Amino acid sequence: MSDGALAPLRIIELGQMVSAPYCAKLFSDYGAGVIKVEPPEGDVARQWGPFPNDEPHPEKGGLFLFLNTNKQGITLDLDDQGGRDLFCDLLRDADALIENQRPRQMREWGLDYASLRKINPNLVMISITPFGQTGPYSGWNGYDLNAFHLSGTGHRYCGRPGEAPLEHGTFSAEYFGAIAGAAWGLAAIYGRDVTGGGQEIDVSCAEAVAALFVGAQNIGGYAQDGTFNRRTGVGMPLGAPATILPCKDGHVWMLALEPAQWDGLARVMGSPDWMQLEMFQDMFVRAENAEAMYPLITQWTMEHTKAEIMERCQAEGCPTTAILSMDEAASHPHLREREYMRTVDHPLLGPVPNLGPPFRLPESPGGAERPAPALGQDNETIFGQLESKAARREGAAS
Amino acid sequence: VTAALPLKGLRIANFGWVWAGPVAGQTLAFLGAEVFKVESRARIDINRTLPPFAEGVRDPDRSLQNHAGWAGNGSVSLNLKKPEAKQLALRLVAVCDAVIENFGPGAMDDLGLGYEALRGAREDIVMLSMPAAGLYGPMKDVRTYGMSLTSLTGLDSITGYLDGPPIPVENAFSDPYNGVLGAFALLTALMYRRRTGKGQHIDYSQQEAMMQLAAPAFMDFAMNKRAGAPVGNQHPLHAGAPHGVFPCVGDDRWISIAVLNDAEWAGLVSAMGAPGWAQASEYATHEGRLRNVDDLHERLAAWTATKDDYDLAQQLQAHGVAAAPVLNVSDLLNDPHYRARKTFIEVTHPLGFKETIYGAYVKMSDSTPDVQPGPTIGRDNDYVFKNLLGLTPEEYERLVADEVIY
Repeated sequence: MSDGALAPLRIIELGQMVSAPYCAKLFSDYGAGVIKVEPPEGDVARQWGPFPNDEPHPEKGGLFLFLNTNKQGITLDLDDQGGRDLFCDLLRDADALIENQRPRQMREWGLDYASLRKINPNLVMISITPFGQTGPYSGWNGYDLNAFHLSGTGHRYCGRPGEAPLEHGTFSAEYFGAIAGAAWGLAAIYGRDVTGGGQEIDVSCAEAVAALFVGAQNIGGYAQDGTFNRRTGVGMPLGAPATILPCKDGHVWMLALEPAQWDGLARVMGSPDWMQLEMFQDMFVRAENAEAMYPLITQWTMEHTKAEIMERCQAEGCPTTAILSMDEAASHPHLREREYMRTVDHPLLGPVPNLGPPFRLPESPGGAERPAPALGQDNETIFGQLESKAARREGAAS
Repeated sequence: VTAALPLKGLRIANFGWVWAGPVAGQTLAFLGAEVFKVESRARIDINRTLPPFAEGVRDPDRSLQNHAGWAGNGSVSLNLKKPEAKQLALRLVAVCDAVIENFGPGAMDDLGLGYEALRGAREDIVMLSMPAAGLYGPMKDVRTYGMSLTSLTGLDSITGYLDGPPIPVENAFSDPYNGVLGAFALLTALMYRRRTGKGQHIDYSQQEAMMQLAAPAFMDFAMNKRAGAPVGNQHPLHAGAPHGVFPCVGDDRWISIAVLNDAEWAGLVSAMGAPGWAQASEYATHEGRLRNVDDLHERLAAWTATKDDYDLAQQLQAHGVAAAPVLNVSDLLNDPHYRARKTFIEVTHPLGFKETIYGAYVKMSDSTPDVQPGPTIGRDNDYVFKNLLGLTPEEYERLVADEVIY
């Protein structure tokens, strides 16, 4: 593979599902050497698909294949002392450990940061868990859904009033924890000469989202005034139009807040008389009269496709966009021209679709080039290297 | 233990505006970098104009959410429409390691601050550009708001109640997300520069970065040609049931419960006092629970509806079940877990009022960020223009009088 930006780094991943594996993918796809350590039965993501034709197979899980590109893979039984010794050997010359085990489990194995820094004082340990290493919920069992809703995101920003707050249809909190761990962890690696060695990076997925997303725009106001807002199901309740509307072949994100945007939308819609009414003259009164306005706009959107609406609105300076379904996003001309849609050759499946890197580094391109590892595929190589290193150490000692 | 912050010694000029760009600067600043947001009174950033304001006084230096979202950034004020301001910006870049911006493609070039101009000021500069859809391509000039950007990724099409229409995420989740990942992007380029001496211009497409979150649905489309649909709070890969948000006692109170294996199911049944319905054969297996998920959720909701969310979470956790209260905004400030982790902190603003912002949203064992509220406009003018760039007091006063430093 090309000389990636992070090429000299050596990373060990002890990860399941999304958070730690996606964090480690951000290192491996930009050139770091990442060894993924799985239990003998494998990362649980291997069980959960999606699978081709819905036929479960531990080497064919789609999310696993996406999250683990460019990594080597080994299996270790950490319930066994021998397994733990080998794991510690791996960490001796590693730059970072990225893991998402429950904190109590790592302590029970003797693999908590206090123990590991004795083995390698330069090690940066990036722990990404639903709730974090400290605090009253740190011992809780939890998954993405629990962390996400502990952040307040659903209650504040997603769902209809009176109905359940919603996750976003994916593992939003785990992804957020992954990128927070990547940024802070890489900073800790970058600055080891400044700080005097490695350190522990404790990411709580719930906390990262609660602080950066919900807290950022709500906590100051609540602390000062004692009032707070909730989801409305509408989009933007204080300005309009700012909502999702149905159209002929799906939905559009209808946005026309500033005067020039509203005028642009009027031109696109053929300047119907109702748009001149006093009750629709600025974004605030339009919001007050949204119940009257949205059906009028919808009459028009229902006669047009999302692509038409987006193209004509954008041309007139109105930021309305099409809500692309997954198949439309995956075949979008813009993303095709940017070669964001990739394939990675897999020994069992042949070419497997994948996504390009989240950002482009022209001098040191990133991206998935090698497929996710088969379970234990690198055991022989990696354990062989460890043995010869141990032999060299013993040789040097005698 | 108190070690230095790891990015001590790095200096960054942040032309980022509104939310994503400032959060990229904030993350690097929390980690020790010296970050100067470049802005101007000539065109006040909209993020400074959003209510609520400290003590209710409407002023661009008193927006409470701005103080949280921009914390860590410093501020220098330059009216970039003036040629002398552009020259000062380039002199600032010459003493910086990196530049951040999140305008549309070409906007920095129009200001005379494109990548080539920045390289002229400092050969090995790292420039992070984070426009909506990247620096090139047929849709590069697309106009979006942060909250609708995800419409272009497939994500919005899978957000909603099970098999219903898409439900909007009512704020720009992508902005802080891209800010944090943008900080990582910048650090990867700095790692490369340390090894090779070369800077580069990072093309960060917010669309492409966010589309990675849609990977579960994308892979299902790629493998099975299914277009994807909202799943509510059910598991995105249908990996287990129950998996959802259930009502509790009180106004808009809910609990999240996720059961992904037999041991957790046994814990839940035991926590419920082993009612007859839960021991029925259709719920005995993982497959059975998934097959009968609607009935299962209805029965579970009837049981949770009479319980307090916090108490029930404690009770279920005691049985090994992944459960947590669904918090509202006021809960965030009062929750014992966030209090213990100092997620939100009260600080005193230089203008004299107290306010609450978020603190270090990740914890480091050895280094401790000193989090102060986001800057007043031009807070660091004196230091930057006189000390860093060496303007004489006379020059400085003239540039202020001419509204170049403004």
